[in-house]
Amino acid sequence: MKRQRSTKQRTLAFAHGFILFIACLVVLVPLAYLVINSVKLPREFLTVPPTILPSEVTLEHYRDLFEDSKTFRHFRNSLTVTLWTTGVTIISGTLAAYGLARMRLSARILAGVTFIFLFIRFYPRVTTVIPYFLVMRELDLLDTVWAIIIGQLGITIPFVTWLMLVVFQDLPREIEEAAIVDGASVLQRFRRVVLPIVMPSVSAAAILTAFLSWNEFLIASSVARRKASVLSIAVAGFVSDKGIQWGPMAAMSVVMIVPMIVFALFAQKYLIRGITFGAVKG
Amino acid sequence: MPWLVLFVVPALIIVVAVQFYPLAYSAFLSVQDWVLTESQRPKGFVGLENFTKELADDTFRRSVRNSVYITGGALALQMTLGICLAYLTMGASWRMRAIRTLLILPMVIAPVAAGTLWRILLNSRAGLVNHLLSQIGIKGPEWLASPDWAIVSVIMLDTWQWTPFVLLVVGAAIASIPEDLLEVAAIDGASRWHTFLYVELPLLMPLLLLTLVFRMLESLLSLDSIYSLTFGGPGYSTYTLTYYIYTLGLRSFNFGAAAASSWLFMIFASLSIGLVFWYQRRDW
Repeated sequence: MKRQRSTKQRTLAFAHGFILFIACLVVLVPLAYLVINSVKLPREFLTVPPTILPSEVTLEHYRDLFEDSKTFRHFRNSLTVTLWTTGVTIISGTLAAYGLARMRLSARILAGVTFIFLFIRFYPRVTTVIPYFLVMRELDLLDTVWAIIIGQLGITIPFVTWLMLVVFQDLPREIEEAAIVDGASVLQRFRRVVLPIVMPSVSAAAILTAFLSWNEFLIASSVARRKASVLSIAVAGFVSDKGIQWGPMAAMSVVMIVPMIVFALFAQKYLIRGITFGAVKG
Repeated sequence: MPWLVLFVVPALIIVVAVQFYPLAYSAFLSVQDWVLTESQRPKGFVGLENFTKELADDTFRRSVRNSVYITGGALALQMTLGICLAYLTMGASWRMRAIRTLLILPMVIAPVAAGTLWRILLNSRAGLVNHLLSQIGIKGPEWLASPDWAIVSVIMLDTWQWTPFVLLVVGAAIASIPEDLLEVAAIDGASRWHTFLYVELPLLMPLLLLTLVFRMLESLLSLDSIYSLTFGGPGYSTYTLTYYIYTLGLRSFNFGAAAASSWLFMIFASLSIGLVFWYQRRDW
């Protein structure tokens, strides 16, 4: 290693830092601008040039949001949907994955199962949304949180099963053999031996499911528009023929984005593993 | 064994009920004449009429074209930027780790909220983007009101939100290339650029293709960001295939036509999914 860096190297290092700086700005400035907009006074919205730093910080948009019983309901619905979807998905997905992993299926069948997971992850979901709408109409479930939850389960369960299947396949069977010798049943083996080991993966799957469910839009917007409407629909609802309600729209976006950013900062590894799952092996 | 089967049953029931049954139902609808505003029940079997009508339909064709422009443009940008940023943010120092954490933030935002965010930024008069452009003496376009710029806006949004995905996947792949390989190349006198071109790129190629197909499918399937950024407008200028099918089915309630066009879409998507599957099962 040479101590003295040449001018060329210094220029390169500077360019490197500069590009990264710009990249960070491109990510941060829009987010900051959104937050600023959510605390701007209404009269400062459509000024030319735009108000970058508002003369006064106001929380009225947030207050309006949470005092409005409609928005509060959206928020509550989003929470209900996310909690139910995550709970049911984690339980049934983990069980199913364990079942599949220990059934001694032939490689060919396992490949078929994996293909189905891949297919469900990537086929044009808009294909099934219309029949799903009709089924929910038939069952009189339209505009209920249940229609949203059941619809989302169709996406999240196969995904989590796939994720956990890979985890269980990597888990050596020897770990369970001692328990088998002791005469433990499958259920006991699963609960006492396997589950504690894979707990980190289960939490990762739970975080990912919550993330998918909270942000989900297509199913929610097709089966629930009024009573059972959730945040993701409400965010888009501030645009109407009468114009755009900039303040509430910005405030609502912040409410929607913040929990996920917190997730991303504190559970980054888990979230990333889930989002890129399938593209990267394992 | 019976326990194991029992474990799988709840998940299986939900997948069959919520995925396979609607899928079959949709295949049935695609050969039926049914507009909900005209009749409460399907009016009858029409063979492939829905398909031929759709293929000749102007809005359908325009939506396909828009999808190609948007997805093509967004992919070209995010693959290039993503690969470059992956190289620029290599390393395990705390600074690089912090930068990577920051750069992936757009990816975790709900696409529908990202759409509203860019709607605020791109407002032609009072938006931040045109303000910044005017600072360097450029008069910004009417982003969301002009048909061509609206397409560019959607591309920008998709790129902003999903370049981090490419950065992550490619970054992980670069980190897994054995150090020795690069050292050997360096000892042999290969320049950094040649090492990239002849050593790293061939190793990364399968993964890059996979990432490309992944992002292509996700971009084609996305509805939320278009919905909140442009509503398909102005006019039909940012109608993508997904958005078109969605409005056809759930706004005009033309179930037959919507099902037929979604199956046309499905053929292409299935081929791409098949490609991904085949690629992942090869050893590389």
